Amino acid sequence: MAAPPRHATMLSISNGDKPAQAQPQTQQTTLPQSPGLRVPSNRKTIYDRHLNRSRNAESSRASFAFLFGEMVTYAQRRVTGIQDLEKRLNEQGYPLGLRLLDLLFYRSTSTSSSALSSSSTSSSPPNRPLRIITLLHLIHGPLWRLLFGRAADALEHSVSPDTPNEYMITDNDPLVNTYISVPREMSMLNCAAFVAGIIEGVCDGCGFETKVSAHNQPTDLWPSRTVFLVRFGDAVMEREKVLERSGVK
Amino acid sequence: MSSNKTSRIGEEIWKTRVDKVNAELVTLTYGTIVAQLCQDYDSNYQDVNKQLEKMGYNIGMRLIEDFLAKSGVGRCANFRDTADMIAKVGLNSDTLKGARIVDISQVGFKIFLNVTPTVTNWTSDNAQFSLIFEENPLADFVELPDDGRAQDELWFSNILCGVLRGALEMVQMQIEAHFVSDVLRGDDTTEMRVSLVRYIEDEMPPEEE
Amino acid sequence: MVVYSFYIFDRHAECIYKRRWLPRPTSIVGKSRSEAAPTGLGQTVRSSDDDSKLVFGTVFSLRNMVRKLGGEDDNFVSFTTSQYKLHYYETPTNTKFVMLTDLKSPSMRIALQQIYINLFVEYVVKNPLSPTEHPGGVGVNNELFEESLEQFVVCVI
Repeated sequence: MAAPPRHATMLSISNGDKPAQAQPQTQQTTLPQSPGLRVPSNRKTIYDRHLNRSRNAESSRASFAFLFGEMVTYAQRRVTGIQDLEKRLNEQGYPLGLRLLDLLFYRSTSTSSSALSSSSTSSSPPNRPLRIITLLHLIHGPLWRLLFGRAADALEHSVSPDTPNEYMITDNDPLVNTYISVPREMSMLNCAAFVAGIIEGVCDGCGFETKVSAHNQPTDLWPSRTVFLVRFGDAVMEREKVLERSGVK
Repeated sequence: MSSNKTSRIGEEIWKTRVDKVNAELVTLTYGTIVAQLCQDYDSNYQDVNKQLEKMGYNIGMRLIEDFLAKSGVGRCANFRDTADMIAKVGLNSDTLKGARIVDISQVGFKIFLNVTPTVTNWTSDNAQFSLIFEENPLADFVELPDDGRAQDELWFSNILCGVLRGALEMVQMQIEAHFVSDVLRGDDTTEMRVSLVRYIEDEMPPEEE
Repeated sequence: MVVYSFYIFDRHAECIYKRRWLPRPTSIVGKSRSEAAPTGLGQTVRSSDDDSKLVFGTVFSLRNMVRKLGGEDDNFVSFTTSQYKLHYYETPTNTKFVMLTDLKSPSMRIALQQIYINLFVEYVVKNPLSPTEHPGGVGVNNELFEESLEQFVVCVI
């Protein structure tokens, strides 16, 4: 299955794939078709506000559940089956992962430089993970904490010799599934495919080609326990070997 | 109007009864939804606005139930009590009705987004007013596409109009809401205009044949 | 105490959920259909039965009458016959919860409210796979809601 052009789902760069010529009937305006966007005189734009402004801001969990719910419902109307639905949810999570990665790096540098003054960025460049394990720890810890306020519950490497490229991240009680009661006939569905997409975005953003999928692995104690299966591409595994030999951490 | 009381109720519920998540998760998720719609509707922004409103409507209908459950409908026998508190201050029934909408709008947005919009610009018949959003978490991190159209056609936060319409419909008020300005469009404020259409009567069961 | 049955009506006056635990005394089953099949636990009976319409008509009229006599803020809470007790709870969104129990039962108003807050809102309203409106009961009869309701009725009440 060919992946759709993923960047197309990102709003801010959508003008990148839409050449400016695509406007035959421009609305008649007396103003010159000025390039660039209008900005409010009080400068309430993303450029004038601090990126960490919303860092500790909170929103209601129900709001998120409702929003996520609408996303699932909307996606459901446009798909043919469970796999298709999960694929779509995955695709919607992907751009989020790319963005969160930037946010994570930005924040990890500014906090390590000074504990309190968030404005100063340190001179040291952000530490982009080079090795699989570092990357997975970034996801398991900081990413999960940013999204869900806690680390993921487990991180494992496949024990099978046939699949050394497979890793598992476990969340005992994924926030996105909190209110979801999946009907029996759709028992395979896991809406955390959205989160799988986020992970994929983070990995891709770091230069690790990956496929991530979400699987139901309920236990008595954790009925909505979900395992995210992370499968790295061959190129990544090759590179991993090279880095291993040259002792890159 | 007893906006102090209202905001206190909102603050109280927000602090003690609402489970929280990181606001950025909500902001970014909303962003991907809008982006997805822009893509699906081929940047037909009128359709995107409509779809966002529809999604908001569904959310509003659910949100109000959550709100009522959280706000302890238990102790107050029903929501009319909120209006009663205002009634005791001695307002005539028209202002009372208006006040009830305002109550729900303000407390509702507080619980939905942790923002309290300012209520202003009432018409003399108390059937219309504006909500000014000083803060709008949905629009954090957002810049509209620079395609010469989005800033004139897309109401990025249009979902909020639907949220209000859905929530109020569930408590028997039909309203119409639309944005008249948005910081993202280069305006100095983000303003939503709300009009009361009618009060909804109880529905009767279909007649027995 | 014994819980006989439980109903939810939405704002469009439609019965969106109905559950029966024990057969009530036959004298009140209206047009006694005296079901041969055991009305077992966990069985959801819907719509084909018209006693939900009767129940709705009754509570709707009573609630209106109560408001007329006692003022807008008066509430209809329950009524008792020689056979059973009917408990009523209505949300500001016009969703109506009704429970039929035996006569020994204390007031179920709080219980109905708990069902609304902790079960209906949590598992139906917040469930993204369940629609916002429930024509024909769609979305209410999900596993989480039904199981929790079962638990609630068996263990808590």
